[in-house]
Amino acid sequence: MNKTVTINISGIIFHIEEDAFEKLSKYLGTIKGYFSKTDGGNEIMSDIEARIAEMLQSKVNAVKQVVLMADVDSVIETMGRPEEFAGEETTDKTEQEEETKSYSEPVKKRMFRDPDSKAIGGVCSGIAAYFDVDVVWIRLAMFLLIFFGGVSLWVYIILWIVIPEAKTTAEKLAMRGEKIDINNISKTVKEEAEQLKKRMEKYGNDFRNNPDTRNFFDKLGDFIKEFIILFSKFFVRIVGLVLLVFGVIFMLGLMSTVFGFSIMGTNTEFNDWVNLFFLERSHYTLGMIGITLFLGVPVLMMIYGGVKLLFRIHYSNRWLNLSAGVIWLVGFVIALFVGITTGKDFGNAGKVKEQVQLVQHDTLYLTLNESKEILSGLKINNDDYEDNHHIHLKHRHRHSNDYMVGKDGDKKHIVGYASLDIVPSLTDNFELYVIKKARGEDKRAATERAKMIEYKVFQKDSTITFDEVFTVSGDEKFRVQEVQLILKVPRNKVVHLDKKLEHFLSDVENVTNTFDGDMVGRRWIMEKEGLECIDCQGLDMDADFPAPPKPPLPPGDINVDAKDANIKIDKDGIKIITKDADVNIGKKKSE
Amino acid sequence: MTINSENTKAQMRKGVLELCILSILSKGDAYPTEIIEKLKDTKLVVVEGTLYPLLTRLKNTGLLNYRWEESTSGPPRKYYKLTEIGEQYLKELQVSWQELVNAVNKTIESGNI
Repeated sequence: MNKTVTINISGIIFHIEEDAFEKLSKYLGTIKGYFSKTDGGNEIMSDIEARIAEMLQSKVNAVKQVVLMADVDSVIETMGRPEEFAGEETTDKTEQEEETKSYSEPVKKRMFRDPDSKAIGGVCSGIAAYFDVDVVWIRLAMFLLIFFGGVSLWVYIILWIVIPEAKTTAEKLAMRGEKIDINNISKTVKEEAEQLKKRMEKYGNDFRNNPDTRNFFDKLGDFIKEFIILFSKFFVRIVGLVLLVFGVIFMLGLMSTVFGFSIMGTNTEFNDWVNLFFLERSHYTLGMIGITLFLGVPVLMMIYGGVKLLFRIHYSNRWLNLSAGVIWLVGFVIALFVGITTGKDFGNAGKVKEQVQLVQHDTLYLTLNESKEILSGLKINNDDYEDNHHIHLKHRHRHSNDYMVGKDGDKKHIVGYASLDIVPSLTDNFELYVIKKARGEDKRAATERAKMIEYKVFQKDSTITFDEVFTVSGDEKFRVQEVQLILKVPRNKVVHLDKKLEHFLSDVENVTNTFDGDMVGRRWIMEKEGLECIDCQGLDMDADFPAPPKPPLPPGDINVDAKDANIKIDKDGIKIITKDADVNIGKKKSE
Repeated sequence: MTINSENTKAQMRKGVLELCILSILSKGDAYPTEIIEKLKDTKLVVVEGTLYPLLTRLKNTGLLNYRWEESTSGPPRKYYKLTEIGEQYLKELQVSWQELVNAVNKTIESGNI
């Protein structure tokens, strides 16, 4: 007879012999001891107890109602000795304990180089992990410090040597300062499984390639390849940064230009020109939109791409790329359309040539009807003419490329400058031609436009007065209208060029290669080779050396015209010019 | 020396146990005892005690799920099943295992030459 103890395992009642109970107790106690420190240890315990209960239940029945020592031994054999299963858990733990302070206490953070996320040596990613910052900023700072901040590259190399690489799972967790427990280990193990898979692939390849002949150069080649790959990953980020920076700069430039144009839109003068230039107002607006899209979309994509590269974002939306491309294309097409439509209207040139009948003389005096006379009633470029004229006078250049808009109440006029050229005549007569030019979509349209140019020139006695400017009605479009005058001078005849013509002449050919500016205020005679100056004494670069003050003379010159002679009295003396000879009664040249 | 080789064997077995359990469960839900039986069938010998902590750990990491089933022969039992994550994890492990086997076999072969 033996003493029985009544116990319950997992809610089931058992009658168990005393010595069996001791053994079972000790067994369960040992297991509990091993699992007490585990996460989920309680759950494991109850699972084990439930299983033990199950096993014991099969051993008792109506006849044999008590659990005996033999039964307990059988259970222990099936379940295993504690060291066999629980002990293995502990050995794992001891390994981990060797590397960290204790099993489930929070781990002190240590700095390691991160081998799983290295651009070059894992230095920056290790530092980033330690400080819990995104690695991009560390890499950026490192790059700037080394290349622009004067920090030596050796610092990086020293860090590479000194900071150890996190090789084991526990080290990697310590690098991130995470608590080591089942969950974390499992996570890192999963990651390592990935790495392992990749490394296995690599090893597999290597083994295929006859491992025994991998000598130094092969290994060097591998190293260089790896280095280049890692470096180019890093480089890609730099490219991303550059793209981003330049993209932003271009965007700012583009925005300020667009903004500037929209402000210009409120400027009436700008608007006048827009209306005169484009066939329709809408073309201008369309054109602006087109160009903005054409330039703007690439700039935006630059910024977008730069950000993606820099922050290693692998997002790629094909609809986005597609629509960006479409919008850009649309912008391009619009701008092209406006450009072509408008340009076509400039495509062809047309001209009209009219001859003005002249009364012949031996000398013709050419003078200018200045613009300020012609345009006195108009507002030029929205200011009264006086103001503008002063500005123009300051510039010592020909006006042929200046155009203005003149307004007379509601009527608009395009105003441009005419020009005069003087060439030899093939006949014995002076001949004057007025050539009006314009552009249009075809020669006929251009010629029609040219006809619409209004220009006046008239002769009174021996003076020809040219209008300085021509006008075109504002109902017409601006199409580079021009007026050119050609005066043909026969041999031995003279022209006198009034000073006002200074900016009106169009590089008149002459024997002495004198500039237009110096030609005016003098008389020129057409000789065999070209125009020769008659009264050019004192023509040298003496603008810087003003002549000593002379006694005042009667102002101006005295000209007497006879039918075949001309007498000129001026400060240089008396000059009599006839068909056959000249007579000079002049001051002696200064000694 | 015997102890050392036993240790190594145990280590090796322990390494693959997770894979085997997941594989068994991928073929159908099972109780721990059923899993042990299947392992015994394939001659992979482990004591039952090894299973429980492992199953609990796998469940805690989300690879397994269980539900309670009433039992006539004792207390209610846990009926384990593989989760979706568990299935993926299993696939990865299987690939790694295959590669490992190939690698190890090759090593053994070339070692024997």
